[in-house]
Amino acid sequence: MDNMQQHFIEAGTLMLAGMVFVFAFLGILIFFINTVLARLAIRFPDPIVTPTTRINKKNKSANANSGDISPQVVAAIGGAIKRYRTEHGQT
Amino acid sequence: MDSLNTLWLSTGLANFELGQVIMMLVGCGLLYLSIARKFEPLLLLPMGFGAILTNIPAAGFSEVGGLLHYIYYAGIDTGIFPLIIFMGVGAMTDFSALIANPKTLLLGAAAQFGIFATLFGAIALNYVPGIEFTLKDASAIAIIGGADGPTAIFLASKLAPELLGAIAVAAYSYMALVPIIQPPIMRALTTEDERKIEMAQLRPVTKIEKVIFPLGVLMMTIFFLPSATPLVGMFCLGNLMRESGVVDRLSTTAQNELINITTIFLGLGVGSKLSSEAFLNVETLGILALGAVAFSIGTASGVLMAKTMNKLSNEQINPLIGAAGVSAVPMAARVANKVGLEANPHNFLLMHAMGPNVAGVLGSAVAAGILLALVGG
Repeated sequence: MDNMQQHFIEAGTLMLAGMVFVFAFLGILIFFINTVLARLAIRFPDPIVTPTTRINKKNKSANANSGDISPQVVAAIGGAIKRYRTEHGQT
Repeated sequence: MDSLNTLWLSTGLANFELGQVIMMLVGCGLLYLSIARKFEPLLLLPMGFGAILTNIPAAGFSEVGGLLHYIYYAGIDTGIFPLIIFMGVGAMTDFSALIANPKTLLLGAAAQFGIFATLFGAIALNYVPGIEFTLKDASAIAIIGGADGPTAIFLASKLAPELLGAIAVAAYSYMALVPIIQPPIMRALTTEDERKIEMAQLRPVTKIEKVIFPLGVLMMTIFFLPSATPLVGMFCLGNLMRESGVVDRLSTTAQNELINITTIFLGLGVGSKLSSEAFLNVETLGILALGAVAFSIGTASGVLMAKTMNKLSNEQINPLIGAAGVSAVPMAARVANKVGLEANPHNFLLMHAMGPNVAGVLGSAVAAGILLALVGG
């Protein structure tokens, strides 16, 4: 029984030390992200590039998603605009 | 007549022991779970087959000179296979969601309570006759709560190799059961209104942040917890290969071919530990029960932490993402997303849940390092 009590005390200590350490470690990591990484992000103008590449990517993916239809749709819209303009010009 | 007798004695039928037959059925059960139910098939299939091979009478797969014996000692006893897999996982992990919302690291930390609470459970099981867990055994069992297969195998191979088979089976089975175990706990601990909370969109993360992040994590581990550096170091190497963008070939290999090859051998090696002497006992039942408890406590503590953070912070946090703190990437994040969608069809929590999810991987690696440092010595 004493042995079991000893085991429980050890397990309790391990739990306490473990949880405190996990929180401390990941807490310092939060501090690291909020200070070092955030500053790096501001200093190096990568974020300005990111949105533009993102937009490009989105456009690309949009094109890719619509596949072969895309040029036809563009042509159709282009044609419609042309027709509208000529008709509009005539009236 | 003599030669006929010798021939008969060399057949499997003449040499079968009941335990071997039962373990072969367990192997077949694992094959069934992987093929028919698609439970973590990548690992459970080779593991189930390994279990069948290792229990073949008179073939000696797991004895000195046998294939599985060498696979086990080369890759698992040394810890190499789980570490290579961890590198691949690092190469597959995108930390953007975590860097964009670093507070979610606290959720990954809270979910590790499942590990440490289970330690108590494992020690308490010593009251059951036939079960005798030392603190090392208890620590190796408790890591199942980290919901991270490679970490569990790594720690078990260091602390309690004789329990490795049961621990690996429990860890991977429960990881496959995440969509069944987690939702009832998540619903029980949250209100309908909390589940409906929509979270603010995450900010874009720059490349330099993603490149420096694994180096920062490694540096911290070197300073504070060197015993976790095998796991964290390999994980960070994989992640740096991914994010640096200069070694796409290596990154692709680490997250595809290398991890696949290693998974085959890891599964076989773990299967070789599923022998009747090691598996067919009360302790295995205890380990299976404790694994479920560990998962449930981890999920609950993650959700409760997220609830508390939601109350204390100005920013709204949906408590469901706390459940994703128990690693099991990306299954746990998908579960959080699914339960969120049930409450509010416009609520997409997947990206928000990926933060605590990858934080959970780091958290369980740190927890494993702590257990190694405090118990392994």
